[in-house]
Amino acid sequence: METLTPGSAAELVDLLRAASADGRRLLPVGGRTHLDRGNPTVVDAEVSVGRLSRVLSYDPAELVATVEAGMTCGELDAILAEHDQEWPVDADPAATIGGVVASGASSARRLRVGPVRDWILGIELATGEGRLIRGGAHTIKNVSGYDLPRLMVGSLGTLGVLTSLDLRLRPRPLARRTVIASGTVRQAAAVVAAVPLACGVLATPDSIEVRLEGWPEDVEVESRAVARLLGGTFVLDDVAFPSRQPWLDVAVTVEAAVVPSALVELTRLVSAPWGVLAGVGILWAGIASAGRPLDELRAAVSAFGGVAPVICGPGGLGQGGPRRGSGAWAIQERIKAAFDPVGIMAPGRFWDGS
Amino acid sequence: MIAAARRDLEEILGSGAVLSDPLALRLYGRDASMLEGSCELVAIPSNREQVVACVRIARRRGLAVVPRGAGTGLAGGSTPLPGSLVIVTTRLQRILEIRPEDRLAWVEPGVLNLDLKRRLAPLGLTFAPDPASEASSTIGGNVATNAGGPHCLAYGVTANHIFAVELVLADGTVQSFGGEGPEAGGYDLRGVIIGSEGTVGVITAVCVRLTALPEAVQVLMLGFATVDDAAGVVSEVIAAGLTPAAIELMDRAIVRVVEDFAHAGYPVDAEAVVLIELDGLQGGVDRQRQAVEQIARSHGATVIQAASDPAHRARLWKGRKSAHGAITRIAPDFLQYDVVVPRTRLVEALAAVRVVARDEGLIIAHIVHAGDGNLHPLIMYDRRSPGALEHVLAAGERIVRACLEMGGSISGEHGIGLEKRDFMPLMFSAADLDLNDDVRAAFDPVRTMNPGKILSDVGRSHGPAAGHAAGAAPDEAGSWRR
Repeated sequence: METLTPGSAAELVDLLRAASADGRRLLPVGGRTHLDRGNPTVVDAEVSVGRLSRVLSYDPAELVATVEAGMTCGELDAILAEHDQEWPVDADPAATIGGVVASGASSARRLRVGPVRDWILGIELATGEGRLIRGGAHTIKNVSGYDLPRLMVGSLGTLGVLTSLDLRLRPRPLARRTVIASGTVRQAAAVVAAVPLACGVLATPDSIEVRLEGWPEDVEVESRAVARLLGGTFVLDDVAFPSRQPWLDVAVTVEAAVVPSALVELTRLVSAPWGVLAGVGILWAGIASAGRPLDELRAAVSAFGGVAPVICGPGGLGQGGPRRGSGAWAIQERIKAAFDPVGIMAPGRFWDGS
Repeated sequence: MIAAARRDLEEILGSGAVLSDPLALRLYGRDASMLEGSCELVAIPSNREQVVACVRIARRRGLAVVPRGAGTGLAGGSTPLPGSLVIVTTRLQRILEIRPEDRLAWVEPGVLNLDLKRRLAPLGLTFAPDPASEASSTIGGNVATNAGGPHCLAYGVTANHIFAVELVLADGTVQSFGGEGPEAGGYDLRGVIIGSEGTVGVITAVCVRLTALPEAVQVLMLGFATVDDAAGVVSEVIAAGLTPAAIELMDRAIVRVVEDFAHAGYPVDAEAVVLIELDGLQGGVDRQRQAVEQIARSHGATVIQAASDPAHRARLWKGRKSAHGAITRIAPDFLQYDVVVPRTRLVEALAAVRVVARDEGLIIAHIVHAGDGNLHPLIMYDRRSPGALEHVLAAGERIVRACLEMGGSISGEHGIGLEKRDFMPLMFSAADLDLNDDVRAAFDPVRTMNPGKILSDVGRSHGPAAGHAAGAAPDEAGSWRR
């Protein structure tokens, strides 16, 4: 398939206008690391933001960076690390900033740092129709008009192509440690309640990984707190979190989102490999195929009011979002039409297959 | 038509919950902003079903709907324009459910921010947004304005603390947006709703995210001989990688008036006072305290004092949070403004405001959420003196323009409402505003919900706003109180 590679926002706008006029269907792509998220889409061409990859402004004292959407997370991380700062989203280094935002992928540390939607201040977007628009601002605080930056999170390229983003940054914690112990999902929830510094508490069939970040003296204190709660702990400094993600090595990986109190029961229904983020309500499960096991998992998640999209492999998004025909669904349809009236952007990829 | 609407409303709500006497209409004809509007009727429903009925009656009778919480908004978001039914949500005031294990609570929109915090504190939890109006503003209003507060610096604004919102749409249907889990399917329409200032529907329930209370808290009070020294320390603290929970700056005029009121021990001879709150675990708090004190010393702080106990800390905050009320002791009228600059440009922004004050012959005092670059210039005046208001409005516009030139925003946390509506084109292009209007129309195609707020209705393609049948001009803007 043809891949279009505009070199500027203006070129992108021209391209989108022409595509809207011709009904040419497009899929925006960045680092191609999150394309399994979303339902299957049939398009005529891909639009890559790979050539839009500059830093537009970065003043470390401001803790804000404005970057083009095609910058990779790895590049950004290296630039920010020089100033002991981070954009705490922790995506694949090859993923682009625009792609991470459009796919709505958040950090495993979200218990404390929050989801990706909390780290975007402003956006520039070329809508499917070819309107170049701005939303949000370059400042930490801003209430002016509707929050279009958040609307982009998880929109899966169905509204337009992001061209640049204003990112909120934070100081990189001085101490980063993972404490590993054995324990149950229930015990992991107890760690969340008792260890305020924990930014991620991951329970798997074999172990609990507690990620502690902050001032070194606090991390020491909290390491001891974890040891008291779980016993038999050992400590790994400066490793990635999670240290292992075996659910990604299976044919299909689901990322279910439910209320945290549902995790204990849900993990009884899945077989290894799986991992849950206690206190957050994320379950990652690796399953052998997208057939019956996936349907069963989704039915269970749905009973808890959650969603269970596939993030790796086939299987799409599953049930979620407003019910077709409901008032909220009609709002969603009108929003889509405002951005992409002809419907050229990734048709079929979104939640209800639209 | 209005009489018919009143009869319809009285049938559902009872006559005590429908107001139409001249005094009530005048009272509800404004909010805490400097703007004055007018309304035809006021309805005070007690539950969701009654809200639905009110919205349906308004639609049937050709009235616009203006949702209102406690009316503490400062930008005129709930100042009604002619042809409106004001729907007051303060009687929907139940805390429906608190679930510590899921770190969430469901509340009705009329619950007061501080009442929720008081219920949560014994559980070791809190609802983080802390607008200065927290004792009197409602959660529904906080959501509608995406309220901030001093502790936004570390904890984020209201938008970062909302899982789900239930909304009565303009057609009278009830819809829920978001969910109790960390992610939900579909477009994230919560972002549109939070900060929408009543233009997309009436909020009838909110699912809020709960945050653990910190183990240790320390407040440092710093005094400075110049405002610029104070602002310089703030930038330095942020740049040094410290992460205070709040950094607030008050200038001499504010300090003097609040000290009389709060007896917090503020240094009344300092040109600026900075409050820095540190929280977390004890070790990190102590380390950060030392670092802040060192930065303050090397930048010429004349006073460096730590709160001696929780009562002292409470007094220091009481002074800051009562500034808005206390200022009436020195100025008959004032306009509290809300603008943002990139936080490294605070010194420059304060200098720009000084120039404006001098040129317009006004006294402008400062309360600043300094860590966020969010300025609240208090422009003092006496409305009885001829031409004073014109100078105030000119000053406001010049401050907005100066902040935008520095890469800032026209509002940090008060919102746009009516006050800043006509400044939106200074910040956004026509295409940006058209798309915003499309997003609004996606929720309310017939413009029943709070028309004329945030965006001007003039030249919009989405049909005339409701309220016209009652004789409203197409683009009313309210009027400044004189």
